[in-house]
Amino acid sequence: MDIEAIKTQIACDLNDLKSIQALEGVRVKYLGRKGLIAQLTGTIPSLPAAERASFGRQVNELKTGLLALLDEKQKALAAWREGADADTIDIGMPGIAPELGHLHPITKIISEVCAIFRQMGFSVVEGPEIETEFNNFTGLNIPLEHPSRDVFDTFYLATKSTLLLRSHTSPVQIRVMKSHKPPLAIVVPGRVYRPDAVDASHSFMFHQIEGFVVDADITFADLKGTLEFFAKSVFGKDISMRFRPHFFPFTEPSAEVDISCILCKGKGCSLCGRKGWLEILGSGMIHPNVFRHVGYDPSRYTGFAFGMGVERIALLKYGIEDIRLLFENDLRFLKQF
Amino acid sequence: MKITYNWLKDFVAITLSPRALAEKLTMAGLEVVSFEESRGDFVFEIEITSNRPDWLSIVGVAREVAALTNKKLKLPEPQPLRRGGGHTLGIEVQEKKDCPLYTAQLIEGIKVGSSPEWLRQRLELIGCRSINNIVDIANYILFEWGEPLHAFDFDALQAGAITVRRAQKGEKIVTIDGVERQLNDDVLVIADAGAPVAIAGIMGGRETEVGPATSRILLEAAVFNPVVVRRGRRMLGLESESAYRFERGVDIAIVQEASLRAARLIGQVAGGTVSAAKISGAAKVPTRRIALDGIHLRRALAVQIPSGTIKGILESLGFKAKALSQKKYTVSIPSFRQDVKIEVDLIEEIARIFGYGRIPNTIPRIRPPAGPQDDTALNRSLKEILIGLGLNEVITYSLVEKGWVRTPGQSADKEIAIANPLSKDQTVLRTTLLTSLAQCVAYNLRQKQPYIAIFEIAHTYGLDAAQKVQEHYKLGIALCGGRMLWVGKDRVYDEAGLLHIKGTIEVLFERLGIEKDACRFVMKNVHEAEVYVRGTLVGTLVRLRKEMCERLDIKNKEVVEAEIDVETLLSSANLKRRFKPFARMPGITRDTTIVVKDAVRTGAILDEIARWGANSSKGLLQDAEISKYYKGEQIPDDAKSLTISCTYCSPQRTLTDEEVNSLHTQLVDELKKFFNAAIR
Repeated sequence: MDIEAIKTQIACDLNDLKSIQALEGVRVKYLGRKGLIAQLTGTIPSLPAAERASFGRQVNELKTGLLALLDEKQKALAAWREGADADTIDIGMPGIAPELGHLHPITKIISEVCAIFRQMGFSVVEGPEIETEFNNFTGLNIPLEHPSRDVFDTFYLATKSTLLLRSHTSPVQIRVMKSHKPPLAIVVPGRVYRPDAVDASHSFMFHQIEGFVVDADITFADLKGTLEFFAKSVFGKDISMRFRPHFFPFTEPSAEVDISCILCKGKGCSLCGRKGWLEILGSGMIHPNVFRHVGYDPSRYTGFAFGMGVERIALLKYGIEDIRLLFENDLRFLKQF
Repeated sequence: MKITYNWLKDFVAITLSPRALAEKLTMAGLEVVSFEESRGDFVFEIEITSNRPDWLSIVGVAREVAALTNKKLKLPEPQPLRRGGGHTLGIEVQEKKDCPLYTAQLIEGIKVGSSPEWLRQRLELIGCRSINNIVDIANYILFEWGEPLHAFDFDALQAGAITVRRAQKGEKIVTIDGVERQLNDDVLVIADAGAPVAIAGIMGGRETEVGPATSRILLEAAVFNPVVVRRGRRMLGLESESAYRFERGVDIAIVQEASLRAARLIGQVAGGTVSAAKISGAAKVPTRRIALDGIHLRRALAVQIPSGTIKGILESLGFKAKALSQKKYTVSIPSFRQDVKIEVDLIEEIARIFGYGRIPNTIPRIRPPAGPQDDTALNRSLKEILIGLGLNEVITYSLVEKGWVRTPGQSADKEIAIANPLSKDQTVLRTTLLTSLAQCVAYNLRQKQPYIAIFEIAHTYGLDAAQKVQEHYKLGIALCGGRMLWVGKDRVYDEAGLLHIKGTIEVLFERLGIEKDACRFVMKNVHEAEVYVRGTLVGTLVRLRKEMCERLDIKNKEVVEAEIDVETLLSSANLKRRFKPFARMPGITRDTTIVVKDAVRTGAILDEIARWGANSSKGLLQDAEISKYYKGEQIPDDAKSLTISCTYCSPQRTLTDEEVNSLHTQLVDELKKFFNAAIR
């Protein structure tokens, strides 16, 4: 057979080729054990001695050339195949994955705040929502018939008149201190209740996080440092803070804590009521009368306590304007967190 | 409370701008919530905390300004009333505890008319309406000194006599606001010879009100018991500037001075003269003395304040500090500071004026373990698992409408009612989360949500059989609707049912380390299944009944719910993990389809297979699962077809086909025998 004719045939075979399988067919046809090249090689011994060397060289060249062509074709085919796949995947179609749920924003804030205090060595504990008058008021140095109780309007149980729905998380202070000796470093998240008519900024049920530290030498400076670390962790390192004297029956000295407005950075806007400051915490050194109620010696121990409204922080942090959204549980709201 | 800049200036020289003053007051604990310029003056609105009745006056705030700005308070020594006079005033105080001090001045020859401009303006700036010169002067002194005064038309008082006594049941009075009020013996009144003429410390009566025709007044300046005033005010549902101050405590030492000033002003403005004065009670309280130790101060504030500064601060606030040694003082408390009772109260005063901002910030060294163990971690991981399963967390109200709907699975505890509910939607504490979650589902269906998968972890409340209050941590789950899932290139509608809830709970169990064979789901009726872990009931699965759906306006939708007792669940949790070697040899799977009667529970079949696997397969049966469930054509109506896939495997060797076939045939025979199963 004529070598040139074979070359043409190879070119022709390779040209029409569309698949790797067909390419394999071509490879077998020429390079197989009984392929054309083997047949050509087989004819060499029968050739005149003078032609053998030259013919042998030509067959070798043909073989090398064919191998190169097959290789090239294979690469081309492989590339074509990937291209073909890309055509069948429509990347515009939605991805396939199970849908995850969402934590309620209140839970997210509580987790974030508790994590910050855990870093400092605090333990997180909870307490019951139905409380005694003693734990909610008297033990916390809030006398029964006193104007200081006005801010703590309270739901009472019809069944037992001395029981109530806690109006703050502070009763857990009393519970923990009664059952444990110092040192203590505790945060308490939980639901609290006050008979406030529901509107954009009030809810009869809301959440607080209470915290307190008691040990031999806890100072007002410790209170400031702890709350500064907390506020900067939640609202960013750039905020400024101020501690304003205030009155809470269960702490003395007492302070309210403001941060510079997160929207206007202190210039004054509608969020901060043109004040430039946002109140976020109430705090103070635990009142000696509270220590006496739980059987601690106030000359031996000092401590600080603080409390914050979780909804307030959620509203500020997420830019929510109406507290009712938090309890409406609309999935379109919940799925944003 | 409102005050004005110029009014303050009557008592203290102010060099600060109004804005700077507002800032200073705020940082001293008198939070200025707003201030505005008006009629040539500046009006500050200040929030006064309930412990500082002394700040409920211009004089009190001026004293604070003087202390904060190192200025002198311009205040003369308070003077006593000159008792006696031509007219004898009859004053009887029945109970000293109700009214420790009552003073009266008779002022004659007054001309009631409108107030001069300066007086009107000052009152109007702080939000007090001008009535007539006499009433205005009484109010002026109230705001300036914090001592509420009351002027009676003397000629309207029967027999010109005053009795301070408790009202009798059945007595009535028409107050100056025109409302007739029923009284009882909780209410302290001022009465003349016949009837009550004022509610003591709260509001005057219309009968004896000063009017245009009044020419003689009895000017009352007194101190009433804070608790009595508070109780009376709450009983009557009344608020007044006067009651506000008496409830918080009025300084007994300035009562007479305030009355004298009022009389002097009346003389100037309305032309009257004092013709008699009478006092009942003691005009002084014993001075309280408190020891202050500089070491305690330093220990509380972590800052060294020089003793000169300590003394200076205390004296500027009206305290008298006597140094006993370099660090110890005896501090005399002025009568207007009844709130200062113990040493820490003094420490707060010093810290406040020194400036909270000047106290350093430190982080306390917390010595672990600092208190009880952190018990919220499991609760948090529960939530993480649930959101991983596609459920969204909700928070619903703990208070619900009484007897709204009873759902299956509700606890046996009795509902606890609220004594003072806000509205009828929130009258009792809920005994189950299921109703609230169903409401949540209904709400989201109304919002056209096609698939609702929610959970809540919260307390439920109730009275147990022994009438004891119980509070339980519950997990509630609700599913409704369906979602489109991709299966290969097809979308399949997957509608949530009881098995979806079951699956969710099984994942929870698995994650909490509760072994599969420790849990049992038992159908109680078509609407309800119970969940047991090691024989203990931990919760219920529920399909909402039709009537409940109708009440919630849920149409043509199935709502499935679960309620799990979190404490019981977590007490069964086992979070310890130990590695168990697994078979690396490939397993051999055999599928068998059996047909059994519907009455045969699938769970029982799986249990039997597991039992057989443990006892008779030499540990080679690794897993058995239902891979197909079928009812319909070619199957009797009262039967179901189940395809069971069994995987056999040995950790040591590769099993042979013959071995597996022989084992599997034994299993199939077992199933035939046990469940009367037909093999297909």
